[in-house]
Amino acid sequence: MRIKVNRDNCTGCRLCLQICAIEHFSEINPKKAALRIEAKFPDPGKFRPFICTQCGKCAEVCPEDAIYQNEVGGYIVDKEKCTNCGDCIVACPMDVICQHPDLGYVIKCDFCMECTKVCNTNALVEWERKPTAKETEARNE
Amino acid sequence: MVIYLKAGSKLRERLKPDIDYYTRRIETEEGKTIKEILADIGINPALVAFVYTSGKVKGLHYIPSDGQSITLQPPVAGG
Amino acid sequence: MNNGLAGTTLRVNLTTGEIKRFPTDEKLFRRWHGGRGVIAKLLYDEVPRNADPFGPENIFIVNVGIMSGCYIPSGSKTEFGSISPLTNGHGDSNMGGHLGPMLKFAGYDMLIFTGISPKPVFLYIDNDTVELRDAAKYWGIGSLDCEEQLKKDLGEDFEIATIGPAGENGVLFSCITHDFGRQAGRTGQGTVMGSKKLKAIAVRGNRSILVHDLEALKKQVAEIIQRTKKHPNMEPWQKYGTSFFIRWSNDNAVLPAYNFKTTYYEDVGKIDGDQLIEHCLITHKACFGCWMNCGKYTKAVVEGRPVVHLEGPEYETAATCGSNLGMKDINHVAYINWMMDNLGMDSMSGGGVTAFAMECFEKGFITKEDLEGYTLKWGSLDDVEHFLDMVVHKRGIGEWFAGGSKRAAEKIGKGSEKFAMQVKGQEMSGYDGRWAPGMLLSYMTADIGAHHNRSWTITVDMAEGRESVEGRAKIVVYLQHIRPLFDTWCICRLFWGELDISPEEIVESLNHITGWGITVDEALRTSEMIWNLTRCHYLERNRDIGRVFDYPPARSWEEKIPSGPGKGKGVTKEQVEKMLDEYYEARGWDENGNPTREVLVDLELDFAADNLEKIGFLGKPIPGGVPPIRGEKYKPKAF
Repeated sequence: MRIKVNRDNCTGCRLCLQICAIEHFSEINPKKAALRIEAKFPDPGKFRPFICTQCGKCAEVCPEDAIYQNEVGGYIVDKEKCTNCGDCIVACPMDVICQHPDLGYVIKCDFCMECTKVCNTNALVEWERKPTAKETEARNE
Repeated sequence: MVIYLKAGSKLRERLKPDIDYYTRRIETEEGKTIKEILADIGINPALVAFVYTSGKVKGLHYIPSDGQSITLQPPVAGG
Repeated sequence: MNNGLAGTTLRVNLTTGEIKRFPTDEKLFRRWHGGRGVIAKLLYDEVPRNADPFGPENIFIVNVGIMSGCYIPSGSKTEFGSISPLTNGHGDSNMGGHLGPMLKFAGYDMLIFTGISPKPVFLYIDNDTVELRDAAKYWGIGSLDCEEQLKKDLGEDFEIATIGPAGENGVLFSCITHDFGRQAGRTGQGTVMGSKKLKAIAVRGNRSILVHDLEALKKQVAEIIQRTKKHPNMEPWQKYGTSFFIRWSNDNAVLPAYNFKTTYYEDVGKIDGDQLIEHCLITHKACFGCWMNCGKYTKAVVEGRPVVHLEGPEYETAATCGSNLGMKDINHVAYINWMMDNLGMDSMSGGGVTAFAMECFEKGFITKEDLEGYTLKWGSLDDVEHFLDMVVHKRGIGEWFAGGSKRAAEKIGKGSEKFAMQVKGQEMSGYDGRWAPGMLLSYMTADIGAHHNRSWTITVDMAEGRESVEGRAKIVVYLQHIRPLFDTWCICRLFWGELDISPEEIVESLNHITGWGITVDEALRTSEMIWNLTRCHYLERNRDIGRVFDYPPARSWEEKIPSGPGKGKGVTKEQVEKMLDEYYEARGWDENGNPTREVLVDLELDFAADNLEKIGFLGKPIPGGVPPIRGEKYKPKAF
C-alpha cells in the first residue's frame, strides 16, 4: 500500500491538510498536518504536494529510537519516547515532518490514508504497488 | 437507438432519472440533435448550457450516437 | 471557543497606530451571523451618516464569518465592508482563496480599521504579533507584484491581500486582490483601503479552530464528498469553471455586448471557455477546502507584451471585459483581466466603465484629443491599455472615469447617462436584464448597486416567461434572502447551486460548527433583517425616497435589443414600474420603496424605524398590513 502523488493534479485546496489534523488531533489546523503543499505563484503557477514516502530515514537518525515501523510499513512516532529534538525533521528528504508549539513530539504521517479519501482531483491516491516478478517469485516459493 | 442522459441540480428533477440517481435511459432516433431530444422529452433546451460527453464539451447541436452517455450542464447560477 | 470562532477581534486605529484586542462579541455573531451581517450592523452603528467614505470616520472591516476555515464545502470566503465610495451606502464584497481561514488560524475573526494612516502601511499578523509596518517600499506597485514581493520578504506561508495603484489613487471601483487572482471587487473596498493608506494585510497563523461537534461535521462532509464525487456536473465544473457559459449567455440573449447595446456577440467563439482552456490554462486552482476547483490559473500571451500570469478570466470578466468591449481574442481578454488585477480595479466595473467610454468615443462625446492622441475603439487592446492608464492615474478625462460611469456621465452630459450601465453608481455585472425582467429587478434593488450575486434569475425568467413580470418580485425577494446568506456565513455559493447541496444541509453544517440549532427559516429571517438594515442605512445616507434610487439606466427599459436571438425584445417602462410596486409590496415597504415601521419592528429593527422617522423617510403604513412571509420560496414551474 502506498500513496501515489499525481502532482500536476493538485489544485491547492488543502483539504488533505485539514483532514490530517482532524483525524489525528480533532482540530481544524493545517499546520498540524503531516504533509505539505508547495505553491509556486505567480510563475510558473503550480501546486506540488509532498507526502511521506515511509522511507525510514527518520527512524535511522532518531537518537531515542522513538520511530518504529508498523505491520503495513508505516513509520510511527512513539509520542512517549519522542523528545521533539528535531533530528528527523532535518533528515526528512520530503520535509514533511514538523513540530507544533502545542505538542511535545513531532508530527509525522502514520499512513492512515485519510488524505486520499478527500482528494477530489486524484492528486493523492491510495495505490497498491504491483509486486515485481522477483517478489512474486519469492512469495510463491 | 438508446442514449443515457445525466443531470444534476434542478435539471435532474425535470429529467426524471430511471437508471440511477442521475441517469435516464432514452430511446430516440439516429441523427437527432441533443436540442431536439430535449424538446422531445419536455425539457426547455434554454435551461441547458452545454452537454459534456467523453471528457469534452459539446453544443446542443451535437448529434449523439447509440449507447452514448451524455451529461446535461445547467448554466452557472451567477458567481 | 467551540463554535467555529477564533475568539479575537482587532481594532486598528490607523491614525494613531494603536492596535487593541477584544474578545469577539459572540452575541453579535449569533444575531447577525458574521460576514455581511455583522458588517452591516457595525457600519450602521459606527459610521456617522455624514461621514465621507474617504474620510477617517469611515471604517474598514475584514470579517471571516462563522464557517470560513471550518472544513466545510468551500469555507474559504473573507468579507470586506465599509461605506462604499461608489454607492455612498453600505458596501460589502467578498473573495475566496485562503486569507480568511488563515486569519482564523492566527486567532482573529474580525479586523476593524479606523482613521487614516499618516504614511503607507501594511498590517502584519503572525499569531499574536500584530504590527503596522512601513509600506513605502510597496506603495505604487501593482497588486499582484506587491503580493509576490511581500511573499519574498515575509515568507511563502503568509496569506496576503493587497491593493494596486487604483486603490492608492482613489479610483472608486478599486478591488482587493489575494492569492494572485482572487478579488473582492465590488463596491470599491480597495478604494477605502487605499484612502486609509493601508497597502496590504499579511497574515500567518498556526492555531486550531474548534467547532461544536467535529465528529458530526466530519461525517457530514465525508458524505457530501462521496456524493458530489459522483455528481455528473462535477467533472465539467472542475475542467472548465464558469468560463464556458459565455456561449449559452449569447445564445439566450443575456450576454452584454458593446456596452450593453445588444445581447448578441458575433465573435463569441473567440472569447469562449474552450479558447481559454486551449490557449491559456496553466493549472486548475481551488480556494481553501474546495474540491470543485473552478479557478483557472492562466497566462496571456500577446505579441509585443510580456507574458503575464493571472487567474481567469471567469464568466463575469469574459463578459464585461470581452464581449462588452468587443474583444476578439481570448488572450486580449486575459491581458485586460491581468491589467485590471494588477492595477487593482474591479474587472466588472472596470469593464463597464471602459465600455461606456468606448461608446462615448464612438458617439463623439470624447475625442482623440481628450485621450492624449489615442482612440478608444471596440476591440482595441492598445486603446484599452492607454485608457486604463489614464484612469488609474486620473490624467485628464481619466479622472472623470475613475469615478465610475455614473459620475463620468454627469461630467460628459449630452444624454450619456442613458447608456451609463449602472444602478446606484455601481456598474452592472455580465448579464443584460432587458429580456430577463427578474434579473433587471435584481440589479435595480440590490443593496450595493447593480450586482448579480444578491439575486440571479436568468433561468427563472426563462422558466416563468421572459415577456411577463408577474410574480417575479417575490422570487427576487426570496433569492435576495438566501443568496446573501452565503456572504454572511463566508462560504461559497456555487456548491448550493451546482452540486445539489441543499440549504438545509448547509444549515446543518452551521449547527455542527456553532451548536446554534437553527433552521433555514430562521437563517432567512436574519438575512431579511440584514437586507432591511442596509436599505435603511442607504436611505439615511442619501436622504431621498427609496424609489428614486432603484431605477435602471434608460437603455435597460427604453431601448429594445437590436440584434440576435433577442431582437426586438425588452421590458417596457410600465413593466418595470409594476415590478417595483410588486417588489415593495412583497417586502412590506411603502410604494416609495421606504421600509415601514411594521416590517422593521417585526424584524426587531425598531431603532432603524426610529432613525428613519426622524429624517422623514419612514414608509407610510400599508393599509392591508405587511405580508407575514416576505419572499416566497421559489418552486420552479417549468424548470
